[in-house]
Amino acid sequence: MKSIFNRLVISQLFRSIIVLFILVGPFFIWKANGQATEGKIRYLMTHNWTKQMAAVEYLSKEQRDRVTYMWGNRAEWKEYSEMFFTPVRTRYQDSEERAEPDDNGYSWRMDVYDINRDFEKQTIYDRIQLLGKMYIIEDTLRPQQWKILNDIKEVAGHICMDAFWNDTLKQQKVTAWFAMDIPVSGGPERFCGLPGMILEVEINDGALLITADKIEMKTLTTEMVLPKKIKGKHIHEQDYFQVLKRHMDDRKKDEQPPFWGIRY
Amino acid sequence: MTIRFKYLLVILFAIPNILFAQNPAKVTIRCTLRDTANAEVPFATVMLLTPKDSTLINFTTSDGKGNFSFNNIRNGTYLLKVTHIGFLPLQKMIVPSSIAVNDLGVLTIKPISNVLMEVVVRAAKAPLRIRGDTVEYDATTFKVPPGSTVEDLLRRLPGIEVDAEGNIRTQGKDVKRIFVDGKTFFGDDPKSVTKNLGAETVSKVQVYDQKSEQTQLTGIDDGTKEKAMNLELKDEFKKGSFGKLTAAVGTDDRWAGRGNYNRFNDKNQLSFIGYANNINQTGVNWEDYGEFKGQNAFNDYDNGDFGFSSGGGRYYYFNGEDSPLNQFDGRGFTKNFGAGSNYNYDHKKTKLNLSYFYNQSRLNLDQYSYKKTFLNDSSFVDNDTLSQENFRGAHSVATRFEKELDSNNIIIAKANFRVSGSNSTDIQQTLTSTSALGSEMVPSNHLSMNNHTELDSWRITSAAIFRHRFKKKGRSLALSGGYNINRSNGSDSLLSVTEFFKAKTVTDQVRLLKRNARSNDASQVKSSILYTEPLSKIWYWESFYNFSLSNNGVNRQVKDSNDLRMPDYSVYYTDDVLYNRVGSSIRYSNKGLNVAVGAALQQLQIKGDYSIDKGLPLLDSLDKKYNNWAPNLSASYQLPHNMWVSLNYSYEINQPSITDLQSVPNSDNPLYLTKGNPNLKPERSHSVNFNFNYWNPSSFANVGIGSNFSIYDENIVYDQTIEMVENLGLRTTMMPSNVQDGSNFNTYLWCSFPIIKTKLTVEMNGNLGVTNSPAKVNDVLNETKSRNYYLDFGVNLTPSPKLLVYVSQNVTLNNIDYSIKKEQNQKIRSYNTNASVKWQFAKKFFLETNFDYEINRNDKLNFNRDMPIWNASVRKIMGKKNRVEIRLAAFDLLNKRVYISQYGSANYISHVNAPTLARYYMLSATYNLRGFEDKLKKNNFW
Repeated sequence: MKSIFNRLVISQLFRSIIVLFILVGPFFIWKANGQATEGKIRYLMTHNWTKQMAAVEYLSKEQRDRVTYMWGNRAEWKEYSEMFFTPVRTRYQDSEERAEPDDNGYSWRMDVYDINRDFEKQTIYDRIQLLGKMYIIEDTLRPQQWKILNDIKEVAGHICMDAFWNDTLKQQKVTAWFAMDIPVSGGPERFCGLPGMILEVEINDGALLITADKIEMKTLTTEMVLPKKIKGKHIHEQDYFQVLKRHMDDRKKDEQPPFWGIRY
Repeated sequence: MTIRFKYLLVILFAIPNILFAQNPAKVTIRCTLRDTANAEVPFATVMLLTPKDSTLINFTTSDGKGNFSFNNIRNGTYLLKVTHIGFLPLQKMIVPSSIAVNDLGVLTIKPISNVLMEVVVRAAKAPLRIRGDTVEYDATTFKVPPGSTVEDLLRRLPGIEVDAEGNIRTQGKDVKRIFVDGKTFFGDDPKSVTKNLGAETVSKVQVYDQKSEQTQLTGIDDGTKEKAMNLELKDEFKKGSFGKLTAAVGTDDRWAGRGNYNRFNDKNQLSFIGYANNINQTGVNWEDYGEFKGQNAFNDYDNGDFGFSSGGGRYYYFNGEDSPLNQFDGRGFTKNFGAGSNYNYDHKKTKLNLSYFYNQSRLNLDQYSYKKTFLNDSSFVDNDTLSQENFRGAHSVATRFEKELDSNNIIIAKANFRVSGSNSTDIQQTLTSTSALGSEMVPSNHLSMNNHTELDSWRITSAAIFRHRFKKKGRSLALSGGYNINRSNGSDSLLSVTEFFKAKTVTDQVRLLKRNARSNDASQVKSSILYTEPLSKIWYWESFYNFSLSNNGVNRQVKDSNDLRMPDYSVYYTDDVLYNRVGSSIRYSNKGLNVAVGAALQQLQIKGDYSIDKGLPLLDSLDKKYNNWAPNLSASYQLPHNMWVSLNYSYEINQPSITDLQSVPNSDNPLYLTKGNPNLKPERSHSVNFNFNYWNPSSFANVGIGSNFSIYDENIVYDQTIEMVENLGLRTTMMPSNVQDGSNFNTYLWCSFPIIKTKLTVEMNGNLGVTNSPAKVNDVLNETKSRNYYLDFGVNLTPSPKLLVYVSQNVTLNNIDYSIKKEQNQKIRSYNTNASVKWQFAKKFFLETNFDYEINRNDKLNFNRDMPIWNASVRKIMGKKNRVEIRLAAFDLLNKRVYISQYGSANYISHVNAPTLARYYMLSATYNLRGFEDKLKKNNFW
């Protein structure tokens, strides 16, 4: 009996070495070749609207409980987003690709959400359709104030560490998992500023889970080229936060969940 | 900005300290990383954190030789954290340096054992926590069969060995001690824990080094460490209960009681609900019913009658079949009782629902109605009083089972069973007056009827749906099958007496006594297939096929007072209806635009046999086949800025009902006969609808406009023959027939926009409807044109969170024009003003009041009824957890409530009024396990 276990452990060891090599190997090869770390990440976004409702603390407990009690197990929907990255830049947008297998291909219009980060120049350039208006945010880069935690896990074949950020504006508790072997400070949505690429984000205990499910290392061509002049109001990041804050306050007074109308 | 500002503050506070210590303000921290074999560690991630809460301040990567440096940073206390794949994270506290370059020298980082690394990789998405020398596994992510012990669980954890005797080893060492939630459990033998404790109770497994027992006893560290394991137990399974119990007593012997209780855990939901009252609540309210059904209140994929897809998204079906929701229509007085239980099992891929409900209602109704009917050259009026005592009761059992066989296959099976019984005694008096053109109304006859009806029925409906997704994305197949049975048995006994004011025969009074025995027997088998094929990422091809076969049997035997069959009214018929439809459509879906074009071929075959009674010779038979093509179009487009438009066209074909096809008259009232028409063709119409929606997420303004239009190719209308029958009086016979005419058009507008955000909102609703309904009256075609206008205007005011005010006004105008008798054109008017106030006037004290003023007018009939209704209540929430509510309510303070309705159609106009529950006062007490909200709620949506 014992020998079986030993063999099991040996085979595990063996496998782990192979897996590690697969994981870590290419990374060293790029470095060695002096090639850039660039490519594309597809993120799967899983929304759970009963958990989103449950996190709105100003709604009555009865209301939130009722939603969970009646809808709890039928509350998820999925969509894809994608990111292109180079060692110093990232560009994040929603994907045309459909993640819901049962929507019969029905097509929804997507709001513009184009998030660009330049870690070399320390700048941001975001095009966001927010509350029916188009905003172009140009500012210096100010990442979230992450707290580094102690867990590690694997996401899409990369070993990740976790970090936490409490978003007091959108009332969100954010846990991000960043890859220790992709040294790009980018991440999905507007999250960035960790020592490695953020491959998973969990907001409000699963109200929204963003997980990298496909990572392709490839040389980019025109993916990072921003579109020519787009109409919109040019603002700074602080103005964007102001617009969000006003909306959050109004929704609170109206006792309505804030996420109908803004991106969760 | 804030981050920098904080830094500045920290620096400012640090200045005196720095000055005193003569430390430089900025420093460079540098270091070299080596592993335990003294090799340089390149490309490690190095982070500087605040020691207080691990906030990330700066980070870098070690170079090819394992060196890193942080240049020109504030000279402070930091937590340095080094992480690298294959190494245990290293943390080191850094204190302010007295020189400008703080060289930490060489830091050694320990490699993670490969076994442990394997855990991280193999555990896939399972987080593995490494804290110093403690390794923590998330037990919930390692699957073990139900009923497994902790030992079984441990066998699955990578890096942990369990031998046949149950001894545990990890990282080459024996695990000597096991703790449960940090405490010793069942003595010191680790095996007693692992063999006895259930795996499902454990949430985390932590393995760590513990100083040896010797060291712990003596306090002298002998340097040896033992492996210890801690099992962290799960928080109790997500479980709980909630419920409410209300008892109320009122004036005029009014009383009410209701309650519900729900218990649940992560897999099961069990609920009970019940009510009893004499205040016209014939069922439960929506919220309570929704909670009663729990996870089964809404279901998706439940419709097995596939057809043209009407847009995207997922559809949820409210499980409202036979639902005991309050459905009081406003007339009379009722006594009600109902109770039921619901059970849901919902775990991973299996969902099961079982529910039972019994409800009953006893109605006492007195009703007065006025009906004026126009003929070519005359008119007549029926003044009718009805006194009814009616009892209805039903048992319903519903079951539903859903199983996801795997991610591509899902199966749903449903079955409902219902047994119901009713009996009713109606006493009706009708006074008919006639008038020739232009002359006065003269009473002609009086009908009094006494009718007793009993009906027992039962019904089974069942369906199964199977859905399969193919490997190719977007390709899918769905199959469904269903079987329904419906049986009823009833009897009527009718006594009618007709008196004539102008005696035409020797007798001035006619008595009729009839006894009916009725039985209905219907069954249906049906099946559907739907196949979707993606032609590309934006083109889809959908095809469907529907089949159904129904068998119906009706036996109605009518006997006269001498117990002899009345052959003119007795009928036995059976029929089979075979329905086949095959259809296909092509859809384009891209960038918010979805357009589908398709057509279906529909075939309907009806075969029927008629005789007077079972076993008697056939009187007639029916064999009809209808073939029709039905085109279909649906288009929707989501414009930028939250606008959405849609346009749908369909060709609707509706088969005639069985009663509309059979020619033997059916009559409960000697002056009113209905009769079928065997030559009736299916109803066919073109139907178009258009919708536009706009929503401004910033101002919260909403606008919706829509209209729908139907025009008939073949219309089923009810022709009337009104004739004076010897010994009976004016008799109306209704018979369906086809006309190639008729249309209806309806358009609506609704909008809501804030004047002062969050405080003052204005709402508006409008509706315009035009219906053209042709029908023959005594062989003359009459076109009735009914125009309906409705406008509602409301204001929502929230001056403070403790005061909510709502005021609204609506107007309904209904103009009815008759082509054969224009001077009888009617204008029905009703106006309604409503004001309601909710006020929290003291802590946990609430006042709620509502005033409604309704005006009903029809000048032509001199109909003029005003009805002011005023309700008010005060409630107080009590108890520490706000679980008790005492409420004193006054309903209809002005004692004015009655039921009023006005209606006009084809060639008649009518109004009905009936007394119902008017003023009463009620005191109620409610105990709510969940506790009441102790503030006003602006929205009560779910």
